[in-house]
Amino acid sequence: MSDTHAPRKDLPGHDLAAAPGRSRMALDRFLTFGAVVVLFAVFSITAKNFFTMRNILSLALQTSTTTLMGIGVTFTIITAGIDLSIGSVVALTGTVAVMAAIAGVPIWISWLVGLAVGMVCGLANGLLITRLKLPPFIATLGMTFVVRGVALTITNANARPAPDAFGALGNNTIFRTGNQFPGISYPVIIMILVAVLFHFVLRRTRVGRYTYAVGSNEEAARLSGIKVSRIKIINYIICATLAGLVGVILASRMVTSQPNSAIGYELNAIASAVIGGTSLMGGVGTVGGTVIGSFIIGILTVGLTMQGTNYFMQQIVIGLVVLGAVAFDQLRNK
Amino acid sequence: MQEVILEVEGVSKSFPGVKALDQVSFDLRKGEVHALVGENGAGKSTLMKILSGVHQPDEGVIRFKGREVRFHDSTQARDAGIGIIYQELNLIPHLSVAANIFIGREPLTRLSTLNEKKMNEEAVAVLGRLNLRIDPTITLNRLPIAKQQMVEIAKSLSFDSEVLIMDEPTSALTESEIDELFTVIHTLRDRGVAIIYISHRLEELKHIVDRISIFRDGRSVSTDAYASITMDTIVNRMVGRTLEQKFPTRHNVPTEEKILEVRNIVRRGVLHDISFDLYRGEILGFAGLMGAGRSELARAIFGADPIDSGAVVMNGKKLAVLSPSESIRAGIAYLSENRKQEGLAVRMQLAENVTLANTGGVSSRLGVISRRRELKACQRYVEELAIRTPSLVQVVNNLSGGNQQKVVVAKWLFCDSKILIFDEPTRGIDVGTKFAIYELIERLAREGVGIIMISSELPEILGMTDRVIVLHEGSLEATLVTKNTTQEEILNFAAGLGGAAGKPSHGLPRAAEERTQP
Repeated sequence: MSDTHAPRKDLPGHDLAAAPGRSRMALDRFLTFGAVVVLFAVFSITAKNFFTMRNILSLALQTSTTTLMGIGVTFTIITAGIDLSIGSVVALTGTVAVMAAIAGVPIWISWLVGLAVGMVCGLANGLLITRLKLPPFIATLGMTFVVRGVALTITNANARPAPDAFGALGNNTIFRTGNQFPGISYPVIIMILVAVLFHFVLRRTRVGRYTYAVGSNEEAARLSGIKVSRIKIINYIICATLAGLVGVILASRMVTSQPNSAIGYELNAIASAVIGGTSLMGGVGTVGGTVIGSFIIGILTVGLTMQGTNYFMQQIVIGLVVLGAVAFDQLRNK
Repeated sequence: MQEVILEVEGVSKSFPGVKALDQVSFDLRKGEVHALVGENGAGKSTLMKILSGVHQPDEGVIRFKGREVRFHDSTQARDAGIGIIYQELNLIPHLSVAANIFIGREPLTRLSTLNEKKMNEEAVAVLGRLNLRIDPTITLNRLPIAKQQMVEIAKSLSFDSEVLIMDEPTSALTESEIDELFTVIHTLRDRGVAIIYISHRLEELKHIVDRISIFRDGRSVSTDAYASITMDTIVNRMVGRTLEQKFPTRHNVPTEEKILEVRNIVRRGVLHDISFDLYRGEILGFAGLMGAGRSELARAIFGADPIDSGAVVMNGKKLAVLSPSESIRAGIAYLSENRKQEGLAVRMQLAENVTLANTGGVSSRLGVISRRRELKACQRYVEELAIRTPSLVQVVNNLSGGNQQKVVVAKWLFCDSKILIFDEPTRGIDVGTKFAIYELIERLAREGVGIIMISSELPEILGMTDRVIVLHEGSLEATLVTKNTTQEEILNFAAGLGGAAGKPSHGLPRAAEERTQP
């Protein structure tokens, strides 16, 4: 499927297919990726046990939730929207999935129930934005409270234990070889699959193309026959469904439903997207960038913790990274 | 002769890769309106930016009121007395008129709070100098664009500007608003303000201009008293060659085959019961004054705006729903007059824009876009339409206006459109490129496409169309056969005066045998 750079020989006047735009993006990617490598190197030197297989795998596991949510929210941000409700959606979907499992629904179906709940939340966001014409910030802000409220109401704000088998998704690993290799956790595998899939959707499919078009110029997109409302709804569904996936994974890792969990996770997800070069003005952003963005946050958190930097200081550092990343972008674009 | 207030001597300015200005000289007298014309890229804007302090010259001298000056930013130029009114207004829509005029230097009370009373009084005084009666407390965005522009002029005057630069001031105004603007310009001139007037609309210059300077390729070609120069000379000097024809020779032959029937379109308060037909291979003009409903009619047919009643019949089949996606599927394309706002995703690539309305044409059945097929399709149109671009993946924002227009045309050709509605296709496009656009439109008609062309320039309507529909305040006033009509007749209908200048020439498109006669 990687036919982007291949076609030149087929084209007459092939020099036109050369790509200054693409190479610029490649440079951006290279710079942010370079930041990851530098961070990795710094912490490997300064923090004992940072550069170990076990730690790297645990870092990937910890980062997977932010990455999955970040990928989803990237879609909405590219359409010049936002989804603030995903933290609440994580809590609700996990809760409902656990309740379904407790009620005796087969475990794997209970996981799908969680995804379906996420899908419904996304549909609700999409309809509020396209039918009632609410600004995405307002629509999803309102939904943040509504969804959290539903999660608290149906559980009476109590955490409940799930059946043991429910924990498989979050805690099992593959490629485990005795004591030598601890294995790769399912959530990490899921993260990789989702990232590849949605990178493909965004760069290679019509839905992805229209996502950029809507964010770049909504009126031009509409007058080009693109069903703008449908594209927006699809984007909010993608976003909330990925949040639902995270909800199920988190509930599975803890083997409990936690209606109070995931508060503020949406901000980490948005920060990942922004560090990865997604523009809140719309029209610009990539899945790859967001993955790198969330790993920058993840590496900082883990690395600083292992160095013994306290939590409060970590918050300051992460905040500065967000500001620095965007400021750097602004300066380069001048 | 009035004294010279501003003098430019041997000014050059280079940007990476281009010499924007090459040894330009120019002078401006007190109390004159001095037109500056030239094609896009002739150097007008660069000179204006140098005069207003945005850019600094590489070499050369600028003398203002006899003293050599060098402005480092636009504030310095403004404080010295050189004001500039850009095409896009630099005002804040949600603040009052007075607040806009005095923004950044609001009069204060002794307690350092805003002195609204004083500000409003001074605003009235400033507006009064232009003989304008505008309530200073009204929120700016409640004024029509023309009045907002007057506010901007007033703001500029309040800095005691002695030189005022106006960049395409009429581009967003209606006919009657243009008259108002000209009145204001006359008032300014009589007060001794020197005005540099930049415009693409050569026809309007005769109402206000005293002298005219022509720029080409970064050089100042000539300066003449307007009265002593003909329009042909102006155009020739602008393009640097004799434009034998303004319009291509027409070979398209309208057929008898109705491709589009518009029936009783009503949009309450905007369009009143409009019906007309379009034939294959025909170029049909929409004429009328600003606000007559030409764009609105086009948008209604295309499904961009909702209608209250009426029908659009394409090739004998009524379109069930009027929406852009349905119209595009049926083969109707609308090329908006606002290319950047409505026609292009300017931050996306040329190739992505070309396929935007028909990504299905380069996708698999699962909706996966083949980049190879996309670039191949795009390559074809770049060659066919002679789009000048460094690459197929160039971001559209970096292309010139004429080339952007071609990208929009490519987008619709790639949809295999049977009907193309051009809304002001040559607005903001320089003289040389205009001809290429005309040729393209003629060629499309020749190939059997039905063309609707909306234009505010009557010569364009007369030179390019087979028939013309004249609208007035949302009603269809007349359907005229172009070769049997005149500018005066169209104007009379457009003004709602009926066919006072001659009998209306209702009729079918000219038949083939008619065309062979001299």
